[in-house]
Amino acid sequence: MTSGARARGDSAAGESDLSGLIARVAAGDEAAFADLYRLTSARLNGVVARILPGDAAAEALQDAYVRIWRRAADFDPAKGSALGWMATIARNRALDEVRRVRPLSLDDMPEGFEPEVEAVDPLASRETSEGLAALIDCLKALDDEKRAILMLAYYRGASREALAKRFGKPVPTIKTWLRRSLAELRTCLGS
Amino acid sequence: MTPDDDLAAAEYALGTLAPDERAAIAARRLREPDLDAAIRAWEERLAPLAEAAPPIEPWQDHWPAIQARIHGGAGAAAETTASGALIEVLMRRAARWRAAAIAACCVAALLAVGLVVRETQRAAGPREYVAILQKDAASPAFEVTVDLDRQEFSVRPVAARTPPGKSYELWIIDPRLGPPRSLGVVDEARRGLSLAAYDRAVVEDATYAVTLEPPGGSPDGKPSGAPVFVGKLIPVGP
Repeated sequence: MTSGARARGDSAAGESDLSGLIARVAAGDEAAFADLYRLTSARLNGVVARILPGDAAAEALQDAYVRIWRRAADFDPAKGSALGWMATIARNRALDEVRRVRPLSLDDMPEGFEPEVEAVDPLASRETSEGLAALIDCLKALDDEKRAILMLAYYRGASREALAKRFGKPVPTIKTWLRRSLAELRTCLGS
Repeated sequence: MTPDDDLAAAEYALGTLAPDERAAIAARRLREPDLDAAIRAWEERLAPLAEAAPPIEPWQDHWPAIQARIHGGAGAAAETTASGALIEVLMRRAARWRAAAIAACCVAALLAVGLVVRETQRAAGPREYVAILQKDAASPAFEVTVDLDRQEFSVRPVAARTPPGKSYELWIIDPRLGPPRSLGVVDEARRGLSLAAYDRAVVEDATYAVTLEPPGGSPDGKPSGAPVFVGKLIPVGP
């Protein structure tokens, strides 16, 4: 099976299956958890491995599944997709790692950021849920540079400093742009 | 919550806050339900983006490790239910180590009792640590349990009763962090709180302290007074 076929299979096998599995995981069903892992590990790895390097990504992915196991009862299908809920847990774990308060001055070091690695472009996404379609419409309303900044932050976990360096702007400008773009998204999504 | 707070919540969810700001928001959300709800709302707004991230097959099968950890977790939970007995053991150890600890550690001069116990760490097994926060060796007030692997902690009052019109707030204190950082209000037992914002070595070495604050916690993110209960982590075996 190619990864492309798998991706389509997963999103098609999609929501109701994953929601059902999470409900069973909440009841302590380990077989359901094994299925959930098998169906989603490449998807969640696609989230963490773009933010963290190898070993750190592996650790974050394992942590994410342990958290999913323990918090399955918190999943509320009314508030979003099962994959989105799981991806948020995985992504938060990865972000905590890259934004950790460290002793000494590691914070001051610029983050490795390979310019040739582009962020994922959701606008090129061929299969979209209702939620993603609405978000894409709102992203299209942002200008290209501001959208690119938001996408690098989301998909690569880029810091304000890394974005400032990449786009040749002062850090406060990046912060202002990020907040303005997020406020525009909020208005556009109408919530 | 101010409009600025909602944008801080947005940046928290997006991940672009600086480490210091991120840790501060993580502590504030524990005692500010509005802020917590705002962060969740932003996570929900942004979550559909994850669908567009193409899958990457993990280079190893993580299932055996995950399975081992969820089983280990069940064992650890059973262990903490016996925390009454655990405290007795800790108190005995504490008495044994106290004299040496006070001599060894200048922190003791600042704090009511600086309890520093380091034991040889076991090479394998869950990395569980406990700190008993107390005024003196005879009156344990809070129990803080840290799981280093999960980067989480739980806290419960052992004997402490919150005085009327006040809140107890827990702080992590380490010279490497600068000023004390809030870990949230601890008027009641709380479980599974994140320590992920802090470096592992800092979590292990830090002093944990509880201060009395206005209801809901310190208004400015700084301790209002001297700690009333303090302690440091000691390892508990697997």
